[in-house]
Order: sequence, then C-alpha cells, then structure tokens
Amino acid sequence: MGDVLTSLVLFWGLMLLTYFLMQNGLSIFNDVTKAMSHFMLEKALGPGIDLVEGRDGSASKAWFIQGMLWLIAASTLVFEGLWLKQDPTALHSLSAWGYDPTANSLIYASNYAALYGGIGMLLIGSSLHIMPRLADTKLASERNATLVSFLWTLSVLVLVVAAHDSEILGVNIFLIGTGMHVLGFIAIVINLLLTISERQRTLPIPGWLIIMGMLADPISTAATIITGSIQVGAGQWLLAHMIGGTFFFATAAGVALYASSSASGNPLWSRSLGAATLVGALATINPIGDSNGMMAADMLGVTFEQLQPSSQDSIVMAFLMALAIIPIMALAANVMMTLRGGDAFIENSDSAGIAELNLGASMLLPLAAASLFVQSDALAAAPELSGIAPTLLLLGIWLVLVPISLGAALHLFPTVTGRNLLSRNRARWAYWMMGGGAFLGLTVSMMSDLIDMALIEAAVDDSSALAADVQAVGAILFYGAVVGAIMHTLNAVSGLFRGARVDTDRATSSSITTEAYSLASPTSVRKILAGGASLDTTVVPVGESDDAGSATEL
Amino acid sequence: MSEGGSGTVGEFIQGEEEPSSSWVVLAFGLVTSLTLLILHGILYPSRDLPVISEILPMFDGVFDSGIWFFILGVMGGVFAIIATMLTEATSE
Repeated sequence: MGDVLTSLVLFWGLMLLTYFLMQNGLSIFNDVTKAMSHFMLEKALGPGIDLVEGRDGSASKAWFIQGMLWLIAASTLVFEGLWLKQDPTALHSLSAWGYDPTANSLIYASNYAALYGGIGMLLIGSSLHIMPRLADTKLASERNATLVSFLWTLSVLVLVVAAHDSEILGVNIFLIGTGMHVLGFIAIVINLLLTISERQRTLPIPGWLIIMGMLADPISTAATIITGSIQVGAGQWLLAHMIGGTFFFATAAGVALYASSSASGNPLWSRSLGAATLVGALATINPIGDSNGMMAADMLGVTFEQLQPSSQDSIVMAFLMALAIIPIMALAANVMMTLRGGDAFIENSDSAGIAELNLGASMLLPLAAASLFVQSDALAAAPELSGIAPTLLLLGIWLVLVPISLGAALHLFPTVTGRNLLSRNRARWAYWMMGGGAFLGLTVSMMSDLIDMALIEAAVDDSSALAADVQAVGAILFYGAVVGAIMHTLNAVSGLFRGARVDTDRATSSSITTEAYSLASPTSVRKILAGGASLDTTVVPVGESDDAGSATEL
Repeated sequence: MSEGGSGTVGEFIQGEEEPSSSWVVLAFGLVTSLTLLILHGILYPSRDLPVISEILPMFDGVFDSGIWFFILGVMGGVFAIIATMLTEATSE
C-alpha cells in the first residue's frame, strides 16, 4: 500500500475505535477518567481559572468576539497580499521596523489567521453552545473554555508571525505556536467529550459531525506521524486535506445544519443526507484546500516536500476526492432545503446570519467542483492549473467557511449573550460588503492569475503589466470584505452593551400587528404577506353579508 | 394614495426632532475648512499651506503607496472597535 492509503486506513481504524469508545465508554475506568478530566480542566489550573467567569454562554461569547476580531486581521492580510502581488514595494517603508512582508508571506499568514483564528474560533464558539443543547445538558467547564480562548488566540498570533519568519533567535516558532494550539485543542475536545458523556438523549447528526470533526484533527495528525507519511509530500498534502475535510468541513457542517434549522424554525430537512455528510466527510478526501501540504509540514516542524505522489497514491487521492462531492452535495442540499422549509422562499428576515449561511451553502458545490479539477491537476507530473490554486483556496475560505461559521455565530449571538446585535441594518450592509467584496475581489484576482498563466504560456516577456492592473482592481474590491468584517465586529461589540435584550420584543416597521390580520375580502397569500403579516399572524375573516345596507343605529 | 381617504394626508405636520450637535459641529467644521482652503488659494495662489506643508514631507517615503489609504481605513475601524469597547465598558 502507498503512503496515502496506509495513513487513511489507520485513520479510519482509529476513528471507528473512537466512535466505539464514545458509545460504550471506558468500562471500569469511566469514573476515574471523568473525575481526572474535570480536575484537569478547572482545579489543576489553580488561581488562573478564577480570571474568567463561568456564566452560561460566557465561553461562546469570548470565542465569538475573538473570532470576529481575527476575521478583521485575516481580511486585512489578504487585502495587503493581493495588493503586493501587483506592487511588491508598497510596504517597503515597514522594513525600517524589521518587517518586510511579501505577497506570499502575507497570504500565507492570512490563511492561519482566517482558518484557525476566524473560522476555527467561530466554529468552536458555536460548538460550545450547540453541543450542550443537543445533549440536553450543560457544558462541562464554561470557565476552562473561556480561558482557553485566550490561549488559542495567542497560538494563532504566534503562527501568523511564524508564517512571515519561522525562525526567531534560532528557534522555530511554528513549533511554539503548534504546541499552544495543541494544548488549547485538547482542552476543548476534553470539555466537549465530558459534555457528551453526560448526555440525556441520543446525540443528533449535527452533534456527531461536530465532535467527530474535532476528534479527527488530532487523530489524522497521529495517523500520518505513525505511518511516517508526514515526511513525504503526499503525506503532508493528505494531512492538510484531512484536517480541512474534518475539523473545518465536518465541524462547519454540524454547525451549519444546527443553525439552519434553528434560524429558520424549520426541522432539518433530511437525516439521511446528514448521515451521508458525516460518513462522507470522514471516509473521503475533501478537495477544498491548498495544492500542497506546506501548512501541515510547517506546523509539525518537518521539512516541506513537493507533492510527487506515486501512481497508486494518485489513484487513491483522485478517487476519494471525487467521492467527496457526495457529502458536499448532501450538505449543501440539506442546509438550503432546511432554510427554505416547506414555504416558497419565505425567510425569517429577523434572524441575522441566515444570509451568510445561504451564501456558504450556495458556494459550496461550485467551489468544490473547481477545487477538484485543480487538485486533480496538481497530482499530475506537470500541473497546469497551479497558478490559480492559491486564489481558489482563498475563495473556499472566504465564500464557504467564513460565511458558514460567521453566519452561525451571528445567529447564535442573541442566545449566547442575551442581547441582539445592535443593528440589523448594519448586519445586512456588512453581509453585502463582506460577501460582495470577497466574491468580486477574489474573482477578479483569479482573472489576473489566468492572464498571468496565459501570458507565461505564450512566452510573453513582460507578462506583469496587464495582470497587475487587473490585480489592483481585485485587491481594492476585496477591501469590501475588510470593511464588512469591521462592521460585523462593531455591530457585535456594540450589541454586547446596547443591543436589545432578547426577552423584549423589538419594534417592527410593519403597520399590521403580528397578532391579527382582518380579511375583509378574498385575496392572495402574497398580498397578505406583502402587507406586513408574518407566519405567526392569525388571519381573521370578517363576516360579509349580501343584505342591503341600512343606517347604523346609535 | 388618495387624498380624500384620510384626514392627515395632505396636511403640514411639524416634527420635534433636531440634528445632533455632533453632526452640526462636524458639518460646520467641514464647510469652514473648505472655505479657508479656497480663500488661501485665492489670496496666496503660489504659497504652500501653513503647518500642513511642513508636516507632510515628514511622511515622504512612508506613505508612498496607495495601500496606506486603505490601511488607514482599517486602523480607523479597529480604533472605532476599541473606542466602543472602552466607552461602553466605562459608561453608566
């Protein structure tokens, strides 16, 4: 068996073992393990744990706010990276301070900031709220989860610095960042496992997607290290895609399925599609991601190797990537049908985040199909589409993972904090700025990549002039995503203090009361809805008579 | 909308709202600045602006790319978030 298949078989075996242990427990060691884990999460931290509060929702709130702040940093880094692609000396004045970024280093750093800072923190924040509700219990340690959010932020900060310059004073700081990241990750996974162990009912599919997605991250890393495939390019590529397909895709799928039902008020459309997403996420290789395993190699401190798979590995990788379209289609269909429900596009416009969830689900399939072509091409001896791979990765991040994680966080925000976002209008503006900026900016950037590739292929000497002009437009358009991220964060931070409390009704702009709509004459449902009635409005038929009218008696 | 259906339609109604003082000051400041700039251009056509023309050369070689305008926007946004956190946390 090749490196890829060996690692995958071990990964599948370990995941099955994990599932078995979660269902059946550790026999006589159950109580000891639980007590020990509880102790490690709180008492073992000494006075440090008293620095944070343990109220319901405080952990999710901390993860949400920090995740949103990371989205600002990540979008700024992407914007700067796109700009420097056409103007490499734009930030040269910062070299006086010892900071000399390049387009590649900025975009590489933005991947850490977006994936682990923004998306990772928003997904974990949502999971900390969702899992106890699905298990009908409380989070094992609210205080530990709050405290760990700061450790996680610190780890992302170190990784972002390391992406610019991995060695400081002769020390590989990637390993320091990874160490802190692993510590935080273990604490969160133990916290969630303890929560699930106290479950009062069967865990629904979104819950399994979240916990299996979380567990698959360390298990896939262990599998590639045990088999030794982490030393070769194919193994590094595999690990990057396994983490992308499990921690990011599966966890995002669980969060999206929960949020789509909770936000729209509709039941989850299909349980079997949910199960297909769960099994498919673990059994296949998600094509969305980078065309090399540099992030995996750097974070584990091994030498980065180019992707040069054997023919057997290539077949396995291509086959499993093609199969991954099944869970991706299942998730997109399930989320969109759940959001729509049985009605004809009647949305609950009051719930922030639905638009983002809809955008993420809509972009999932087209970007997965495009990634499949690019990743399949990367397996060839002479790849032809490698020029657009970095931009395609950015599209996957900013049009699928960010909208889904941010949409879920915005929807859960009122439940978690007890207050609504400050302004629905600002949330709508931020959605259009962020979604539009990312879509237009990255699409135009991809046009620039394609121009570059075509001119290089045609052996044109000065290939940069035309592509650079287009790239400048792409960077400026992407600035909308930066503004959108700032508006979302400002809306959430202001909402924490001045947002309407969730237990008080907000004033509506409708002149028709939500309680009743008097139906004086036959009319269409469309007209009633257009008049401001909602799904909860009671339609009261007013009695009609064909008798001749007469003066009202006083 | 028909005018005969309701007694309020077609009548003049006086509201009680006024623009906030901060917006009035900002608008007044903007108009004053523009006026003084134009006046300076007319009265001293070939001379640099006082103070500003001495400060700007200090940034030569620093803000020499259009990207800095965008980065200043981001910094403004981040400062707005920090200011919101500080003022909201310390307000009554």
